Amino acid sequence: MNFEIALVWESLPKIVEGMGLTIELLLISLTLGTALSVVLVLMRISGIPALVWPAFLYIYVFRGTPMLVQLFIVYHGLAQFEFVRNSVLWVFLREPFWCAIIAFSLNVAAYTAEILRGGIQGVDRGLHEAGRALGLKPYQRFLHVTAPIAIRLSLPAYGNEIISLLKGTALVSLITMYDITGVARTIVARTFAPYEIFVSAAIVYLCLTWLIQRGVGLAERRFGRYVRR
Amino acid sequence: MNRFVLTIAAATAAVMTLASPIAAQETLMVGSECTYFPFNYRDSDGVLKGYDIDVANEIGKRLKAKTEYVCMKFDGLLPALLAGKFDLIAASLSITEDRRQKIDFSVPYRLSIGQFVAPKAKKLALFNADGSINKPAFKGVRIGIQRATTYDNWFQAIVPDANIVRYEGVEAIYLDLKSGRVDAIMTNPMKTYLEFLSKPDGAGFEVVGPQITDEKYFGTGAGIGLRKGNDALLKRIDAAILDMKKDGTLDKFSKLYFPFAIYPVN
Repeated sequence: MNFEIALVWESLPKIVEGMGLTIELLLISLTLGTALSVVLVLMRISGIPALVWPAFLYIYVFRGTPMLVQLFIVYHGLAQFEFVRNSVLWVFLREPFWCAIIAFSLNVAAYTAEILRGGIQGVDRGLHEAGRALGLKPYQRFLHVTAPIAIRLSLPAYGNEIISLLKGTALVSLITMYDITGVARTIVARTFAPYEIFVSAAIVYLCLTWLIQRGVGLAERRFGRYVRR
Repeated sequence: MNRFVLTIAAATAAVMTLASPIAAQETLMVGSECTYFPFNYRDSDGVLKGYDIDVANEIGKRLKAKTEYVCMKFDGLLPALLAGKFDLIAASLSITEDRRQKIDFSVPYRLSIGQFVAPKAKKLALFNADGSINKPAFKGVRIGIQRATTYDNWFQAIVPDANIVRYEGVEAIYLDLKSGRVDAIMTNPMKTYLEFLSKPDGAGFEVVGPQITDEKYFGTGAGIGLRKGNDALLKRIDAAILDMKKDGTLDKFSKLYFPFAIYPVN
């Protein structure tokens, strides 16, 4: 077996075309998922059983099942029901793109909620007490004391989550979309050169991962100003 | 060592070429897969049946020869034919250039075709009344196909601006055709008939437009495979198949399994 480096160079530009979709999926589902995770984590730490339990159940279900299964449930599963197909929702659910956004956002929300909860619980009790001593109201303490520190504490794990979402987006190649992996698979089906083509795809993913790592690293430094000496 | 093997091979080949015409007049040994419904398979009583088998039996009858079958895995058929385990392959073997380098083929007795399937309610008019492609009608119509298949090649050459959705396997294509994510699909109508249209799931769907037989993309079809150098036998088989086509025997056989003709009509 010989490795044709030329094939890598030939296929890279085509694979980069699929990168646009990968990035789009990543950014949209990350934004929606993170927004939802804030709601979830507030429910989860609210101490009100009627809010805690739904949030707990949601997180349990979405962390406990493979993202591929979630994607298939949204894509194939919901399409099975006539009332779904006849509803307004079908405008979105018909498109593989929105099915992916829905599945990925819901999944990211569950993980990120747990990451944030860990961050919030990691904030030193002494800081709460200091806030109270200063006469800050509970929401002020949360907003100005707990939240900034919790975000800083959550960042490394959140960075991991972004990277796993990036890799998770490859699943959309299974629902007819042309992301990096989808384009690669199409080229493989034509050239019968899986090694070269998938190595090219891997290179593109590595570049994206590097960017994410750099970005999260910068954010960590910015949010970590208070600990720098 | 090598020369020894070559000598043996040459001797065997010589014996085989001498022996086969005589043997062929008595018994035609036919290799088949015997598991490929409805082309070559055993029914619940173990009787060998199917379109390939019907055709091979009929060829035997017309050549006044007995037919006997050898069943084996599909990828073993060609080597076994070359090794002289049997004289013919009747196993829906598609006629391809690669295979032609190794063996001879009869004229095709089964088509390789593509056809569109769509919901009846949609009333898609992808083709004109005379069977030609109505290219403007493809606008806004999403068509599901299997990735990197002959259908894919056909689309890229004939209707390159069609809205194509590519799938890994056929199951997902049927699911999305049912749900309406794609408006039509292009597949092998025989396969689609067996897996989808003849099932309750396929009610409400129909084939649209003519069978597309474009040889450049779909190949010439399936033929009977023979070892090279059996020109006399090949000629007789060709004549038998052409006769069967003319007198309606192939039509009869194909209607046993499908509601449409699966042999090359022209």
